[in-house]
Amino acid sequence: MATEKTDVVIVGVGAAGGILAAELGKAGMKVIGLERGPRLTTQDYEPHDELRYFQRQDLRPNIKRQPVTWRPNANTRANPLPLQNYGNQVGGGTVHYGAVSWRFHEDDFRARSHTIARYGASAIPEHSSLADWPLSYADLERYYDQAEYELGISGKAGNLQGKKIDGGNVFEAPRRRDYPLPPLRLDQGAILFDAATRKLGYHPFSTPRAILSEAYQDRPACTYCGFCQAFGCHVGAKSSILVTKLPEADATGNFKLITGAMCHRVNSDNSGRVTGVGYYGPDGSDNTIEAELVILTTFIYDNTRLLLLSKTDKFPNGLANSSGQVGKHLMAHMMPNVYSMFDDRHVNNYMGPSAQKHTIDDFNADNFDHSGVGFIVGSQISVGTGNLQGGPISHTTTASPPGTPRWGTAYRDYLAKSFTRQVAMVAQTENLPYSDQMIDLDPDVKDAWGLPAPRLTYDWRRPNELARVEFMMKKMEEIGRTMGAAQVWRAPLGPGAPGAHHEGGTRMGSDPKTSVVNRYGQSWDVPNLFIIGSSTFPSMSGFNPTLTIQALAYMSADAIVNRYRKSPGSLL
Amino acid sequence: MTKHDEARRAFLVGAAVGAGAVAGATLVPNALAQTQEAPRTTGTVPPPAHSHAGGPGLGAFFNSEDAATVAAFTERLMPGAPGKPGARDADVLNYIDLALAGAYADLQYFYRRGLASLDAYCRKTYREPFRRLSAGQQDEVITALEQGKASEFSWPSAVAFFNTVRTHTMEGMFADPIYGGNKEFAGWRLIGFPGAQVEFTAADMQSSGPFTRLPIVGLKAKAS
Repeated sequence: MATEKTDVVIVGVGAAGGILAAELGKAGMKVIGLERGPRLTTQDYEPHDELRYFQRQDLRPNIKRQPVTWRPNANTRANPLPLQNYGNQVGGGTVHYGAVSWRFHEDDFRARSHTIARYGASAIPEHSSLADWPLSYADLERYYDQAEYELGISGKAGNLQGKKIDGGNVFEAPRRRDYPLPPLRLDQGAILFDAATRKLGYHPFSTPRAILSEAYQDRPACTYCGFCQAFGCHVGAKSSILVTKLPEADATGNFKLITGAMCHRVNSDNSGRVTGVGYYGPDGSDNTIEAELVILTTFIYDNTRLLLLSKTDKFPNGLANSSGQVGKHLMAHMMPNVYSMFDDRHVNNYMGPSAQKHTIDDFNADNFDHSGVGFIVGSQISVGTGNLQGGPISHTTTASPPGTPRWGTAYRDYLAKSFTRQVAMVAQTENLPYSDQMIDLDPDVKDAWGLPAPRLTYDWRRPNELARVEFMMKKMEEIGRTMGAAQVWRAPLGPGAPGAHHEGGTRMGSDPKTSVVNRYGQSWDVPNLFIIGSSTFPSMSGFNPTLTIQALAYMSADAIVNRYRKSPGSLL
Repeated sequence: MTKHDEARRAFLVGAAVGAGAVAGATLVPNALAQTQEAPRTTGTVPPPAHSHAGGPGLGAFFNSEDAATVAAFTERLMPGAPGKPGARDADVLNYIDLALAGAYADLQYFYRRGLASLDAYCRKTYREPFRRLSAGQQDEVITALEQGKASEFSWPSAVAFFNTVRTHTMEGMFADPIYGGNKEFAGWRLIGFPGAQVEFTAADMQSSGPFTRLPIVGLKAKAS
């Protein structure tokens, strides 16, 4: 039962928390970071072990100790999800992620107003809570640039200050300068995908990734070993928070990291300010940190859960929840897959960084005319590996072609042929927010600390979402056939559970009545409480969220250091 | 290899061959011969997770009859053939046996109940336990499980039992040999996976042919 005092406490030292720890520490603020999991090192990731890291998910939350439950709608009972796709150690998801690092499109920040202007208000589904962001791409551009250069992202510009460049993403928003590192090396799947999509008139390019294509900042280049998504990097070439911002935070002398710390409450007083947090230590002790500023940077489940668990007489609906919006507008990408198998060539898909390797952006956002297609926004379409991981166990969990059984002689022969001759395409479809897709506290299921599990109520199978998935499936089949594959087939769609990347729960906005935080992640109700991460996204885009989370963290750090500190407790 | 390891191997191989004598007699000798041609390496067979004093005839978890059943079942899921190593060649039984004594200990009751239901169904339908059925009959039984048509199952359901054994069979085929299966990289050889290579070169990635550079690399073992 320890009590400590500090300037700032950061709960969750991952994609956003690591950046804030370093930036605030550099500015002379005393920071304590709480992390539920351990702090591991690059050496810890030397064992290339698919069973441990992919199949048994060693870098992700233990689903028995830390259950998250899901139900498709409010009339059904929620059951624990069998798999969770966020991190559970210092560095958070950036340790095991595929490191895909996008800037969102300009239109992604104004999806509602843009849709209405081009297609009319009726194009937005009646029950969707689609909203514009309270900031524009231009507001965030310098922070995207900062993140790309400080962390180390490999890619090729497609829009340099308005000039379109072939070979980069010509649909991207204008950038002030090129990426700090050239694109990662081509592999066979990318070669096939690029040729086919160019033939079809699309614009393929190497997906920008937080993986070093050349040595950078004393870290070595990628070795293309293939043990990438689901694994930590054994040479430190993946630009995870663990090897980028954590050493910076350590070097400030102002940062103290506490691992094995399960935050269970944000404490507040009768004046409406937060005073710090309570956390359980690994020995079960209940400890307190008193802080002037509390920053929540956990995965979206816990950002919502902590606010709901921290209710008081003054905040009877949970902390920072006078709007009633906490937990609402949960979003996740669906990841429909199409597989392509070749008779006459090898692809050796297990080589190289394993997630979305090369991409077309032609059918994302409003990059194409949506008239008559039955949905708005879209999806990136990428080539890579099934499950975003190219090992053999992963391969046995993907759908075999129609007519091929899942076991026996025919299946054995399919595996023997397909493992080195098959590629996967994935469409990362943007799903719209709906206010009844939400996170709350499970009334029955508790975690290992006795806290109610986060409960998700979510079903992506709505008309807009189904039409979007079907459209993208057809595009992927077209690309697969154009690649010259002998067989092209769809993976069956799963149940309505959320797919990859989660957004929402503590939505940002410009109106305290309809949002939880402002553009800086500052609570409207409790100005010395910040919530930063994809939980604040009002819409999700068809792009992976991490670089935008990181740009927002840089922007918030800038605002806290240079403005908030001058008048603590005031709204920015 | 220690004496204990040999005894353990003898038990598990014995169980596998015993089952195979009925389940796939013509396939087994060829398949075994195929993998025995591979160079011997040290360290591919890990020490057992638990010590016991029983000697040959005991695994870390399964009794000898259940071991024979699991050996037969997994071999039907991934049958061996000349040049195509199967579950028996990869020692999938050893993988599952060790896993149930360790990482998957919470599935012990699931397996006990599932195996009992399986034999009850087989006795009712064929008057023999699963391990004594012909390969064709075993395939009929597995199909019935997969389709949820096998009676005598309650918990676990037939489908859940099938799915779990299938998943564990694939793990035993393709996980690193340190976990007790994928013996001498049998699974990785079957599909052409070179294992935990530290690096692939630009030339490797430019090639549309098979990757053939040796050795295959595992956590504790290499093999050419």
